[in-house]
Amino acid sequence: MDHTARKNQGGPASWFSALSARTLGWRWIIPAVTLIVLIIFFVLPIVRLVWLSFTEDAVPTWQHYREVLSDAGTWMVVQHTFWMVLGSTMMALVLGVFMAWLVTYSDIRAKKMIHVMVMLPFIIPSYIITLSWTQLFRNSSWFSGFLQWLPGTMEAPDLYTLPGMMFMLGLSNYPLVYLFTVAVLRKIPQELVSAARASGSGRGTVFRKITLPLALPGIAGGGLLAFLANLDNFGIPAFLGIPGNITVLSTAIYQEVVGIGPSAFARAAVLSVLLGIIALLGTFLQWVLLRKSRQLETAHEETRPRFSLGLWRSPVETVVWGFLIFISFVPLSSMVSSSLLSAYGVDFSVETITFSNYTYILFENEKTQGAIGNSLLLALWTAGTALIAGTILAYYRVRRPSALTRGAELVTGLPYALPGIVLALAMIFAWMEPVPGWNPGIYGGIGILMIAYVTRFMILQVRGSMTALMQVDVSMEEAAHVSGAKGFTKWRKIMLPLLLPGLISGTMLVFLTSFTELTVSSLLMSAGNGTIGVTIFDFEQAGYTHYSTAFSTVVVVLMLGVIGSLLLAHQIWKKKVVKI
Amino acid sequence: MSTLLQDVRKTFGDTVALSSIDLEVKDGEFVAILGPSGCGKTTLLRILAGFETPTGGSIKMDEVETADPRRIVPPEKRNIGMVFQSFALWPHMKVKEQVQFPLEYHKYVPQTLKKRKKERVKEVLEMVGLEDYADRMPNELSGGQKQRVALARAVAPQPSLLLMDEPLSSLDAGLRMEMRREIQAIHRKTGTSIVYVTHDQAEALAMADRIIVMNHGTIEQMGTPHDVYSFPQTEFTARFVGKANMVPGTWTKEGFHPLSDSSISWPSTWIAATFIKNGIFPVRPEQFQLNEGGEGLKGEVVNSQFQGKEMHYVVDVEGHQWTVHAPADVDVSIGEEVGLSLAGVEAPGRNSAVSVSS
Repeated sequence: MDHTARKNQGGPASWFSALSARTLGWRWIIPAVTLIVLIIFFVLPIVRLVWLSFTEDAVPTWQHYREVLSDAGTWMVVQHTFWMVLGSTMMALVLGVFMAWLVTYSDIRAKKMIHVMVMLPFIIPSYIITLSWTQLFRNSSWFSGFLQWLPGTMEAPDLYTLPGMMFMLGLSNYPLVYLFTVAVLRKIPQELVSAARASGSGRGTVFRKITLPLALPGIAGGGLLAFLANLDNFGIPAFLGIPGNITVLSTAIYQEVVGIGPSAFARAAVLSVLLGIIALLGTFLQWVLLRKSRQLETAHEETRPRFSLGLWRSPVETVVWGFLIFISFVPLSSMVSSSLLSAYGVDFSVETITFSNYTYILFENEKTQGAIGNSLLLALWTAGTALIAGTILAYYRVRRPSALTRGAELVTGLPYALPGIVLALAMIFAWMEPVPGWNPGIYGGIGILMIAYVTRFMILQVRGSMTALMQVDVSMEEAAHVSGAKGFTKWRKIMLPLLLPGLISGTMLVFLTSFTELTVSSLLMSAGNGTIGVTIFDFEQAGYTHYSTAFSTVVVVLMLGVIGSLLLAHQIWKKKVVKI
Repeated sequence: MSTLLQDVRKTFGDTVALSSIDLEVKDGEFVAILGPSGCGKTTLLRILAGFETPTGGSIKMDEVETADPRRIVPPEKRNIGMVFQSFALWPHMKVKEQVQFPLEYHKYVPQTLKKRKKERVKEVLEMVGLEDYADRMPNELSGGQKQRVALARAVAPQPSLLLMDEPLSSLDAGLRMEMRREIQAIHRKTGTSIVYVTHDQAEALAMADRIIVMNHGTIEQMGTPHDVYSFPQTEFTARFVGKANMVPGTWTKEGFHPLSDSSISWPSTWIAATFIKNGIFPVRPEQFQLNEGGEGLKGEVVNSQFQGKEMHYVVDVEGHQWTVHAPADVDVSIGEEVGLSLAGVEAPGRNSAVSVSS
């Protein structure tokens, strides 16, 4: 623990010596300033968004709400959103819980591999996955051909529909449910089940009375997480819903803003407030459930299988692996093959293969080159800023928990709890004219993206750093102090070597999410400042499928490269620094 | 180094962790702070280390003010070493690097040591018997070895005050005995002052020159192990250190009549005034003599445990349940009627500072 910010009392007379001892004054001034800065960047934009939805030329009014809510179109949008989120959440829940149950409790083999395979599509942005599935299901794909060859009149399903969106969202977000449920299921001690059996209850009773009640908060929490992710998602409704003419809340806000009608901003603000309230309610409910499931936290995790699949093991394994391999690789391979075609609708064969799409994207088109550069710059900037600021925040949050530091964490988390499109709109209002009447040109340049990304993704680093810090006992630091090391030496010699792998995994998440970000950039980008996500979206909207697929392939390869080299670095680090 | 604490107080919000502690640790002295969990002993140690700021009072180390409520000297600027309960070995450093670390950064390392760091590391590792483990990582060591490294790291820069926070509590029973000898040896070799925090009265009695018994943030009693054990000044000390039974009764000029039975009289020598005032005679389990013939206070054996070299009985005397340690050849069974008498009361030793009231 550092002494500098410890509590000290002293009258005004002791101020001078207090300052020289770095005690009283700084202990309150620095956190207070930090909190004010955090509020300006993280909370004020949201407040301005809400304010705007209630005003017309700075005069308070209900008019926008009356207008939007009396519009039949709005209710259509709300209905679409409701069904899309409900359907996709159910799908994610069923898939996620089933997989989690198999991996935690059954004696299925190669659990680690299954785990990796489930998480794999999670790294790739959902719009690229969607793009790959549309390529698999397009009219002239081998898959459509295969279905036609089969007896009967089977056709590849149309993804540009409400069920299509549900399917893609469910598939993209079931790893969330899976991850959450695995943690909860592992924490239910086997002894509880054994105790119930020993008390005379049968398998069925044990499941109803013990396992289910204990697992339910966890499963519900995972379901809510999927619900929030589905609500937040912009890529899938944008790639499928906009061409299919099915508008949901997130795409409605986007279309209002890019359409720029007379009262477009106000209408978008109203829709954003609605969407934001639903999301915050969900987040709150999730937090409540999480607190409830904490009761189990004292129990240690168990990884031994609890039941045997018996003769069913091989068939179940075949189905699970077939499913995982199919959803992970087959659509991506159709995307790659599409990217190698010279024009849409051409059959795939050795003669029709061309690399012209790649040469175009990588060497001829300034837009794509610029997008890669911009996204790389933005990702590096966001990851770097979050790493430093987020770790400092996490340090104070973990080592000196107080109302102030808890508040700081809450404030930083707010922009991430809101759907991306809502935050994007709030960013426009906040930074177009930071002070009314003064436009410093942040909006319209890359500056607003830099601010928006940090605002949105900072909490990911804060959480990652907090986890890393909690694993380093305070006594490690205290031992350094007693040995005479403080400040820079302490961090360089003790803290960073111990924290680095934990910090980097948070930074990596921030980097990859920023690198392929679509939602926020789609509203905030301006000409010449396109990002990878927006560029792929533009190609897709304009019908240049061979470019969008080629560009997506390049992005996936780049991401795999980054992840691969990081894993390698981690291996080397592990060899050098042996963990306890 | 001599350390002087005057009226040191510490509150956390509304909870009083320490109320008015006065204490002097003399140069080269081994002081044990003994008390149950939550008594404030760890807070006191952390104030000595500089990790906590006292709410009031002052601390002087070698006549230099190190902490008052307005400013404190941070841990890294104090001439101290510290051994943590959890060892606190840095997982990314080899044993020799752990020991060398304070030699590089500690503010009070003598120049002569700074010039020969490598040799000093070897020397200290030899002192704790780990010279062959210099290149190991912490996760390649056993619990006892880890604690030896932690000790070596703390003494390497020759601090004048060594602080130990329950250093043996995460080791198993056998290792604890061995490490006690190790710590005593280090104290003899280095001659540094030691403040040793523990909740285990056997540890404190075995090693310390002086024991500070603490309870509820105050000092109950200070004294040599012998004094604290044999001549408790308070009921708490009698119970916590000597595991004494509190026998109620009447004090008269002739002595003590347990359970106000005037036919029995125990000698009143060397009993603290508090006990006389409250009508209590503290009797440690081994001070009782168990008479199979039934002489003395009549009671019934309600529990017995065979301990090898002795027997531990619980005897019910008129509803009071007292623990009695008897030689192994005394063999009575549960339910049997026995008599209890006082075996003996010892006199204070030459160095004793007990205030006696006889």
